[in-house]
Amino acid sequence: MLAESFKFPLINSILRWKDLFSTFNKVAMIAVAASLIGIVVFLLAGSKDGSKAPKGVRNLAESTVEFIENGIVMQTMGKDGLGWTPFLLSLFVFIYLCNAPGIIPILQMPATARMAIPLFLALLVWVVYNGVGFKHQGVKYLTHTIWPPGVPTMLKPLVGLIEFVSNIIVRPFSLTVRLFANMLAGHILLVTFALLTQSLITAETKQFMLKPMAILPFFMLVFLTAFEVLVAFLQAYIFTILTAVYIGGAAHPEH
Amino acid sequence: MLTAVIHLQGAGWHASSSGTASTSPATGSDAPATSEATTGTEEHVPAGDLTKPGPIVPEMKELAWGAGSFIVLAVLMRWFLFPRLKRSMDARYQGIQADHAAAESARQAARTEVADYEAQVAAIRAEANQVVDAARNEVEAERQAKVAALQASLGEQRSAAAAEAEAARQAAQSQIAAAVGDVAGRAGELATGRRPADDVVSRVVSEVMAR
Repeated sequence: MLAESFKFPLINSILRWKDLFSTFNKVAMIAVAASLIGIVVFLLAGSKDGSKAPKGVRNLAESTVEFIENGIVMQTMGKDGLGWTPFLLSLFVFIYLCNAPGIIPILQMPATARMAIPLFLALLVWVVYNGVGFKHQGVKYLTHTIWPPGVPTMLKPLVGLIEFVSNIIVRPFSLTVRLFANMLAGHILLVTFALLTQSLITAETKQFMLKPMAILPFFMLVFLTAFEVLVAFLQAYIFTILTAVYIGGAAHPEH
Repeated sequence: MLTAVIHLQGAGWHASSSGTASTSPATGSDAPATSEATTGTEEHVPAGDLTKPGPIVPEMKELAWGAGSFIVLAVLMRWFLFPRLKRSMDARYQGIQADHAAAESARQAARTEVADYEAQVAAIRAEANQVVDAARNEVEAERQAKVAALQASLGEQRSAAAAEAEAARQAAQSQIAAAVGDVAGRAGELATGRRPADDVVSRVVSEVMAR
């Protein structure tokens, strides 16, 4: 029995890319492209005649706006939260457009599979919802966050510690890791099955069954690619709706 | 049987399979990433750069570009892109609402007109029925009058005919009685040689004819 080995790349080699410039790499390029695409889509949508039934790019933009308003803002913050639509819309569009390149040929890398962008967005959300909390409740925001109403005095130290860690420390961490880890896992899975397929097809072997078996990882690759389409949307949606929930909770603690 | 073993070595994985012919023997974990380990068109950094920073450490340039890109998008969205789109969406929504209200009022007006029309039709129909009933009554009364007149005329004619028939019968009866009296008188005369008295013959004939 002979043994053949095929190497998986080092983890960094499927995540880090040769810099396009010294301060600009592929992830930065995807982030800039995501922003530009978002701006161009909404710019084009706004330039179309709004009095007629929307179609094309305007239909896409309006559908996204209505999805954010009806599917996220109204569900989590109510009518008072409609002012947050532009921020949540930007968040959703940016994250989705950073996720989507994971399944786009040639790019094949979600910018959110790197830590930087999810971390920045989570920290921004953290700053925003805490700012909203202090703006609406003043210093009481801190006490409301740490000690929810109705907590017995004896339990306040314990609950306070738990709530502080949960609300102030874990939330940005969980927001970051949820997005980053999901996209990274999806990317690694796609790479894994692509490599398995390639290795089986190109294997120099006398085992006649080996090459046809490449169909199995190939089917998984196709399935996972389709699944990543859903994941890209879902992760953008989850990040946005959690942001809305945190901002809504900070603005209206009674909810 | 084909088996595969995957080892974690350093910052990368290493997998080996058994049961196949080999053209490239297993290499150590320090082997650099090679082109067969890529996903096609990707261009990778040299292997020496792949071990650091760790895969979960954020890179400042990505952070800066990502932050800048998002802030630009968010600011433009907040102050320019979203308001412009939303304004026209609201305007269209208001227009649709106004059109909807206008359509609703037009529908109400049409319903009112239909109701008026139906009321007028009902009134005309009732009036027509009244006219028809009146005409029917008039015709019936006229018919009744004509039938009565006709029946009266027929009664008169019938009475006249009956009187005439009675007179004729009386006349015929008188003639028959006279003839029978003649015959009976002659027969009596022939039988007895003497003619019976006319009043006797006449009385006998009357009695016989009255039976």
